[in-house]
Amino acid sequence: MTTDVLRAPRPMARPLRRISDKSGLDTAAGHVLMVLLSILCLFPVYWMLASSLRPANAMFETSLWPTSMSLDNYRQALEAIPIGRMLVNTLVFSVVSTAFQLLTGLLAAFAFARWTFALDKLVYSAVALTWLVPFQVVMIPNYLLIAQMGLLDSIVALILPNLVSALAILLLAQAMRSFPREVIEAARMDGARNWRILWDVMVPNLRGTIASLAILIFISTWNEYFWPLLLSRTAENSVIQIGIQMFMTAEGNQWGPLMAASTLASLPVLVIYVLLQRQVVQSFMKSGIR
Amino acid sequence: MADLTLSNLKKSYDGKPVLHGVDITIPDGHFVVIVGPSGCGKSTLLRMIAGLEEVTSGTISIGEMVMNDIEPADRGCAMVFQNYALYPHMTVRQNIAYPLRIAKLPRAERDSKVEAVARILNLTEYLDRRPAQLSGGQRQRVAMGRAMVREPDVFLFDEPLSNLDALLRVQMRIEIKKLHRRLKATSVFVTHDQVEAMTLADTLIVMNAGRVEQIGSPAEVYRKPASIFVAGFMGAPAMNLFPAAIGAGGALVIDAPTGGVGIGRTSLAEGTPVTVGVRPENLLLSETAGTGLPATVDFVEELGGSRVAYCTLGDREIAATLPPGDQQLEGRSVWLTLPPEALHLYDRITGQRVDVPVHAARSSIPSAFELSM
Repeated sequence: MTTDVLRAPRPMARPLRRISDKSGLDTAAGHVLMVLLSILCLFPVYWMLASSLRPANAMFETSLWPTSMSLDNYRQALEAIPIGRMLVNTLVFSVVSTAFQLLTGLLAAFAFARWTFALDKLVYSAVALTWLVPFQVVMIPNYLLIAQMGLLDSIVALILPNLVSALAILLLAQAMRSFPREVIEAARMDGARNWRILWDVMVPNLRGTIASLAILIFISTWNEYFWPLLLSRTAENSVIQIGIQMFMTAEGNQWGPLMAASTLASLPVLVIYVLLQRQVVQSFMKSGIR
Repeated sequence: MADLTLSNLKKSYDGKPVLHGVDITIPDGHFVVIVGPSGCGKSTLLRMIAGLEEVTSGTISIGEMVMNDIEPADRGCAMVFQNYALYPHMTVRQNIAYPLRIAKLPRAERDSKVEAVARILNLTEYLDRRPAQLSGGQRQRVAMGRAMVREPDVFLFDEPLSNLDALLRVQMRIEIKKLHRRLKATSVFVTHDQVEAMTLADTLIVMNAGRVEQIGSPAEVYRKPASIFVAGFMGAPAMNLFPAAIGAGGALVIDAPTGGVGIGRTSLAEGTPVTVGVRPENLLLSETAGTGLPATVDFVEELGGSRVAYCTLGDREIAATLPPGDQQLEGRSVWLTLPPEALHLYDRITGQRVDVPVHAARSSIPSAFELSM
């Protein structure tokens, strides 16, 4: 009986598929879905740009393309608030924060990756735990510290709490731990001390991770709103996100200048994305953030 | 440079010992190969010499100077790693020049040393390439160049050929030996490959389970293995080893399907438990009945220049090396002769060699035999 079963022709369970058959996403339906999702994501950005070019009396037009275009909104925005100064402040804030977070992250991560010391696991866990503490919990104590130091309404005050980042330490420590141990040992045999091992050997090989992290930190600090809102007293010492908020008043929102200011505020980050889009995507993937 | 001496060197990880008191003296200019199975502690020993592992107890000395607490770069050692450990972001030139850059050598001197090393290792045309653009053999040569350029007193090689294909391994082995003759630097080479060990070594150190089993020239280690471990480890195929007993009058008796068979005479006391070893190439195999111990050929390995017949003798497997031939032997009954002068004796309790001659047995196996193939 067994051999009869073995010899009997097998019923065809399903049609045979060719290797060249396309995956789901390559089908027409897949493409349509991706196009729809792209439109959903990009449409608000387009609408912001289009609105920034509409005159005030046509602000609430629903036509996709502005019926008449003008740069008045940009002119008003530039006259109403010191946008240039605010953009410079935001750039200084973001660049300095990014640089310091990378520097302190690299040094701390190197220590965690390179050495075993007493309570190292506890310290590492403590660093990870700080990441879980919401900003709202520490904002008042930080504010009081800044006030006591007499640094209110200054760029330094914006930067100080952002000099170190648990995310930078954790990501870099993870990357350094997976760095080939033998390459570090070869550097030791060649006479390199720890400082050289970090800067000559490790950092050049972690460019991808560092670039991804830099982009993440830059975008995050560029979009920072609440902390600058707490500290800023004057428009000249504010960041662009506060500047945009100035167009939203109790009497109503000035949508035109608001959209214009938002467009100007988005430009640096858009430029970074255009130049480094591969690293931007990778950075979001690595951090698990959308 | 003076001799490299390891005195009662011990190493433990979390209280678990991996090296149990190693004593070795490596004379200046010698090529020493440390061979042993995976996990025997040979790489750990090498790394301790390099300064990459801490010493639990014991000393590492070059001449009179104890090196235990000296930084790796200051010990006068250079290491070639198993996985090359090249700096992936640097060119070949920069990789080789890196130790000189750290030593703050002037650029002109640095460049000339790099070019000299590149010429010796045939790397001149690859100087501006990165490691990812090189083959395995080229990368290994770059790793050697980076070691050479430091002009060390001691070269340390940690299984540098294990990632290369068979042909390249042979070529690189010859290059390493030529380099050693040229530079005359002390070299310590770690490998698990006994062919590499035999062909490269001036002095061979066989290790097992954190202990040194034997130190000697390759010929010495092969012809007079000091322990059962060395006997079974060195040689391919491995030495045939089987338990034996000393009977009355010093008769050396082994178990065979036909019962106890005397295969020789010794001066050992009756009842001494011994293990007998015979190399496959010393076994004599005959198809003529009654000319030795009866066995059946299970499997024949064709090696081109020779054949290895794996036979079953009672309940154990015996390997015999035969000259090339076309005769079909698998499944056939054969008779094996163990020439007394080719037998090695080991104390079955301690595993150590018993250096007593074995003479022909007075009876049981005829002295005449045939080699039928």
